[in-house]
Amino acid sequence: MVFWPSYCYSDSIQPYYGTTPNAAAGGNTWSMNSILPTPPGLDINGVIYNYTINKDVNDHVDVYVGNENANGTGYIFREHDEWKPGSLGGTEIRKVVPVIPNIPRAAWGQGSIEVEGPGSVEDPNVVYMYKVDPCFDPQYDPNCPGYVVPMPPIVDVTIEIYDATQDENVKLTSEELVLIEENEQVLEEKEEEEEEENEKRKREYRLQALADSQNAAMLVAENIRIQTMNQAMQVLVTNSYLQTSIPGGVYKENIQLVDTKINDNKKGLRNGFAQQILHELMISSQYEEKQ
Amino acid sequence: MIKKILLTCTALLVPTLALAENAPITGSVQSRCVISVDTPGVYGNPNAYTLTTAPSDGGVLPIVRYDVTLADAYYAQITTPTEFSSSPSLSDTVTWTGSTEVSSVSDAANMGDYETNKTTFGETTQYDLTATGSTWFKSSSSATYGGNKAFPGGNYTAYVEAVCIAQ
Repeated sequence: MVFWPSYCYSDSIQPYYGTTPNAAAGGNTWSMNSILPTPPGLDINGVIYNYTINKDVNDHVDVYVGNENANGTGYIFREHDEWKPGSLGGTEIRKVVPVIPNIPRAAWGQGSIEVEGPGSVEDPNVVYMYKVDPCFDPQYDPNCPGYVVPMPPIVDVTIEIYDATQDENVKLTSEELVLIEENEQVLEEKEEEEEEENEKRKREYRLQALADSQNAAMLVAENIRIQTMNQAMQVLVTNSYLQTSIPGGVYKENIQLVDTKINDNKKGLRNGFAQQILHELMISSQYEEKQ
Repeated sequence: MIKKILLTCTALLVPTLALAENAPITGSVQSRCVISVDTPGVYGNPNAYTLTTAPSDGGVLPIVRYDVTLADAYYAQITTPTEFSSSPSLSDTVTWTGSTEVSSVSDAANMGDYETNKTTFGETTQYDLTATGSTWFKSSSSATYGGNKAFPGGNYTAYVEAVCIAQ
């Protein structure tokens, strides 16, 4: 199976070729603006021309076909046809002239056929071959390489708040105007109070934050002190353990019963009886009738 | 299959007194003179007894193009017709006239004098192709039926012969 490299170009963005009509149809000089088609990305890659020379066989005639360089001096191309003595009038010349590609369209100045010497040209035909790249402007088509999705225009919406007091068509009485002024004063006072309260809250918050930070610092310092003390104590404890030595050998039972008889503990027996009496009283109390 | 085996045995028994091989040498030469038909001709019929390629008489001049990539190496020889290659049966003689001239050139300075320097012998015109490039030659041809008789109805075909001869 063979895989061909493919490019996701649609037909509409494929480069295409074309030729202009006869540039010399209206005379031996012509403007390129009236000859070349309009699309951008147009690149002229060659010129085809032909004409028939009119001259006497013994004359020397020079014919120049070319285009001026509109962005400077000189010519973009200039072909020289030298018709020497011996060449017959009525002979046609046909030429294909390659042109350096990628010359900007604006650089193509006036075209002309110039004749020097006792002769003239007949039936001149000058045709420009060109190539058009539709993706010269990547924004021409979304399939063009380098296409950037355009940002939608952001509509600047200005909302005008209707103020009835400023409306010329609203007729207010003097009482209503006074009432509006009083309301505005009250609103301003409330706003000032709210601002003061906000400032007060901010000051308190800052003070509290400062106190918290101091407390935190103190707490950290206390923790460090405690840890230092613990470490010091641990050193002492560790040292005391290390200084203790356990002698080796066999540790035998050293408690001995002399008469092999254990006497009853009378105090314990009395305590046991007392506990039993209390327990029975507690059990029997739940069966007594409530008064 | 058997014949092949016998031949193999024989070859083993025969002493090899002498061995010889022929080494091939191949090569190809690409023509540096190419002839193309640019415009096929058409005979007009201005009167009953004349066939002519003259445009004024409804004919079309045949044009051949020579493309030469090596200068001073070839002659172009173009011969106008002296007989029909196909036609209805003709009982009388046909009188032929013809000529060839340069129609177009691709290099004015070096080909402009081709027409001046041409040589003609009989119906053949010879050009010295002294420059590289393309040259178009147009020929004219006329045929007149004997005794001003009318040509029999039918199709007539004749050929202009264009050859490139190495110098």
